[in-house]
Amino acid sequence: MTAQDPQAAPAEKPVRHGPPIVIAEEVLNERGEETAAQLARTLGPLALESAGREDNPWARVDAKELHAVAKECRDGEMGMDMLNLMLAVDWIDRIQMIYVLYSTTNNRKVILKADLPADAPAIDSLSDLWEAATWYEREAHDLFGVDFPGNRDMSPLLLYEGFEGHPGLKSYPLNDYEEW
Amino acid sequence: MTNEPQFDHVDMMLNMGPQHPATHGVFRMVLTVDGERVVDVTPHIGYLHRGTERLAEVETYGQVITLFDRVDYISNLNNELAFVRAGEKIMEVEAPERAQYIRVILAELNRVASHLLFIGTYAIDLGGMTPVMYCFRERERIENLFEHVTGARMMHNYMRIGGVKSDVPDDFVPWVRRLIGEVRMGVEESDKLLSTNEVFLARTQGVGVIDGPTAVSCGLSGPSLRGSGVAYDVRKDDPYEIYPYLNYKIPLGENGDCWDRYYLRVLECYESLNMIEQCLDQFPAGPIMAAGRRIARPPAGEVFAHSENPRGDLGVYLVSDGSDKPYRVKIRPPSFCNLVGLATMTRGAYIADAVAILGSLDIVLGEVDR
Repeated sequence: MTAQDPQAAPAEKPVRHGPPIVIAEEVLNERGEETAAQLARTLGPLALESAGREDNPWARVDAKELHAVAKECRDGEMGMDMLNLMLAVDWIDRIQMIYVLYSTTNNRKVILKADLPADAPAIDSLSDLWEAATWYEREAHDLFGVDFPGNRDMSPLLLYEGFEGHPGLKSYPLNDYEEW
Repeated sequence: MTNEPQFDHVDMMLNMGPQHPATHGVFRMVLTVDGERVVDVTPHIGYLHRGTERLAEVETYGQVITLFDRVDYISNLNNELAFVRAGEKIMEVEAPERAQYIRVILAELNRVASHLLFIGTYAIDLGGMTPVMYCFRERERIENLFEHVTGARMMHNYMRIGGVKSDVPDDFVPWVRRLIGEVRMGVEESDKLLSTNEVFLARTQGVGVIDGPTAVSCGLSGPSLRGSGVAYDVRKDDPYEIYPYLNYKIPLGENGDCWDRYYLRVLECYESLNMIEQCLDQFPAGPIMAAGRRIARPPAGEVFAHSENPRGDLGVYLVSDGSDKPYRVKIRPPSFCNLVGLATMTRGAYIADAVAILGSLDIVLGEVDR
């Protein structure tokens, strides 16, 4: 086994031999429908796309509107006082940010999504709304190279100072063992 | 602060860790101190970063379970449960009832083992060397049962998407019943020895206070959040497996200080042991694996599943592209989120209390850094 050369041209996409890909059906249950209705009232026309699964509805919004939408979710009727989870997904042509918001008072969850361009991804920081966002954003900055204007401290969190590249991206080479 | 100095002074930076016995692993924090008071804390993590989430993208679903064993290496079975639940949700399969009971019994036993480790090491952090001996004796009994059932003391790889690897041995139920009696006595022993000890109370009561709204904003969960009086427990709020069939209480703290966070874990041990007894009373016979194909190849889609880890709300966000490997696995690590609250709790405390506060969060660095 030899190490993959980071400079080498990306290999052509291998031909898939497996069974055809099935797309999951997204069906909300009764409780999910209620939450989805609340979310639709809160977002209004800002929701570009929405669906959901079981009791987790999600809505995709424009990256520029995300901060305002998140603030409305926190302060409005939904009362989402906890940023449960934030993650970035590398879809090669774009980077999708996913925010899981949770309300400890109403016990409801919603998911907000926003698409960022793959080159120079940036989105407003939510660290002024939830303290929890500070570390999630530093992590996403380390691993995916997403910029968060508004976050006070963007020093590396999981990686060391001076680390080059963003290991969360699909384009980052996964080096194999080399004999030594 | 009443005795604010009236002259010019410079704050001193004090480095604590990564090789420090009270950080429970490789964790470093830089304390900005003014005399004996801590003005600010800057935590530095990442010494144990292994890229688990990225590795999970090149492993098949079955192999990812082994990675989850190693995320939080104190409560392996709880972590496996979180991932297989996400897998089951995306594959739309449900584990048979017997498998769910086995999982819950083992997960709750693992919770007790994890809390016992916390009680023992927390006493060491505060200068009491004895309780850890009692706690490890009891924890060892639980590990012996795990070895008997799963074949390994720690890295079990026992749960599967759709069930568990193998059925429990014939002597499982009497063994667990005997174990519960022994462990309950052990927890009571440590509880009596430590919880109301005067020195222990002086070190923990009123130290590291965090109020409910701040704790929620920081994303705290588990006993660290419930210590501040916020009743958020995934087992109650988003019931999974057979938890709705069990009768149990969620202990709540009032003051949000180190003692509350500590004592909640002691109370949770008793609750968990009661839950296991109820599970044994209801323990059904039947299959242990859902019927259907053995190779996990879920439809393309996304799910978010979470469960209650000893440290808090452990979430798994799973993105599938329809192949036999996950496209993206994101773990919501409760220890990572609990550490966000460390700076708020430690500001204004004494340097010696920084150790007490860090210990009361019960972090596992494998999970913080992943």
